[in-house]
Amino acid sequence: MMQDIENDIRNLVAEIIEKDPSEIKSDARFVEDLGVDSMMALEILAGVEKKYKIAIPEEKLADFKTLDSIVVIAREYLSKNA
Amino acid sequence: MMFKDKVAIVTGGTRGIGREIVLMLAREGAKVVFTYAKSVKEAEGLITQTEKLGVKALGLQIDVREFEKTKELIEKTKAAFGGLDILVNNAGITRDKALMMMTREEWHEVIDTNLNGYFNVTRNAIVTFLKQKSGNIVNISSVSGLIGLARQTNYAASKAGIIGFTKSLAREVALYGIRVNAVAPGFIETDMLSGLKEEFKAKMLEHIPLGRLGKAEDVSAAVKFLLSDAASYITGQVVVVDGGLAIK
Repeated sequence: MMQDIENDIRNLVAEIIEKDPSEIKSDARFVEDLGVDSMMALEILAGVEKKYKIAIPEEKLADFKTLDSIVVIAREYLSKNA
Repeated sequence: MMFKDKVAIVTGGTRGIGREIVLMLAREGAKVVFTYAKSVKEAEGLITQTEKLGVKALGLQIDVREFEKTKELIEKTKAAFGGLDILVNNAGITRDKALMMMTREEWHEVIDTNLNGYFNVTRNAIVTFLKQKSGNIVNISSVSGLIGLARQTNYAASKAGIIGFTKSLAREVALYGIRVNAVAPGFIETDMLSGLKEEFKAKMLEHIPLGRLGKAEDVSAAVKFLLSDAASYITGQVVVVDGGLAIK
C-alpha cells in the first residue's frame, strides 16, 4: 500500500513537472535538483489532495521538499481520515 | 446580479469607501465578509443594511496588522460561506504630519496597517485562489501614492507600495486565473477628509478639473467594474478615480 502511494505520487509529480517518473528519486530535492517552483509545488499539493480526498493545510507546502516528504505527509492525512 | 453567490472579503468595511463597496457587493448578490478595527456600532448598522438587500453580511473585528488574525479571517469566511472569490483590500489609516515632526510610531502605524495589512490578508488568501485557479483582488491605493501629497510621506509611501505590490502579484498569478488591480481614489467625501479645514478643501477643489470632491460611490463603481467579467482582460492596472486631479 505504501509502495503504491509512493509510485502514485511519483507519477503525479512527474506529470506536473513534465519529467519521466524514473528521473524522480525518492530523496531528490524538488527545488534544487528537479527545478520545481512554488506554483508547481502547489499543484502537487492540490493533486495529492484530490487523488486521496484529503485536505492538507497550506503550511505543509513548505515541507514539500522531496518525494519522500510528500509521501509522509500524504500518509499522515490519510490516516487522519481513516 | 453581477456577483450572485460569489464570496467577497472587504477589509475596513464599516465606513467610507469600504462601506460603499460592501453595499455594492451586497446589492449584486455577493456574500460579504467585512472587517473593522473599532467601529462596532457602524458594523452592526452595516450588517442590518445588507440584510435588507437580501444577503446578510458577516462582520469580523479583526486588526489587519495581525497576521494570525487575518489567517482566521480567511478560515472563518470559508467556513461561513463555503469559499472565497473576491478580495478587496481597503483598510487604511492616515497619520498626516510634516516629515520633520513625524514620529517613528506615526510612520510605522501607517505602513503596518496600510501596506503590511494588505500583505497579511492577501498572503492568507492567495493559496485558496491559486488552488481553485480563480480569484479577483482589488487593492485600494490613493492619488497620494501616485503624485505624493504633502504631509503624507507615510501614507503616500504605503499607497505607492500597494501599487508595486499589485503589479508584481498580477504578473505572478495571472496564469492561474487571478486578476489583481488597484483603484487610486482622489479626494473623496468620507471621514478621512472630514477633519480637514474648509479653506484647505476649497483649495483642493481648485486642482480638480471636474470641480467637485468624489463620492464613495464613484470609487465603488470602479471596483465593481474591475471585479466584473467586463474587465476580464485587465490586470495589474491602477484605475484613478480623482476627477482629474492627478492627470499626467
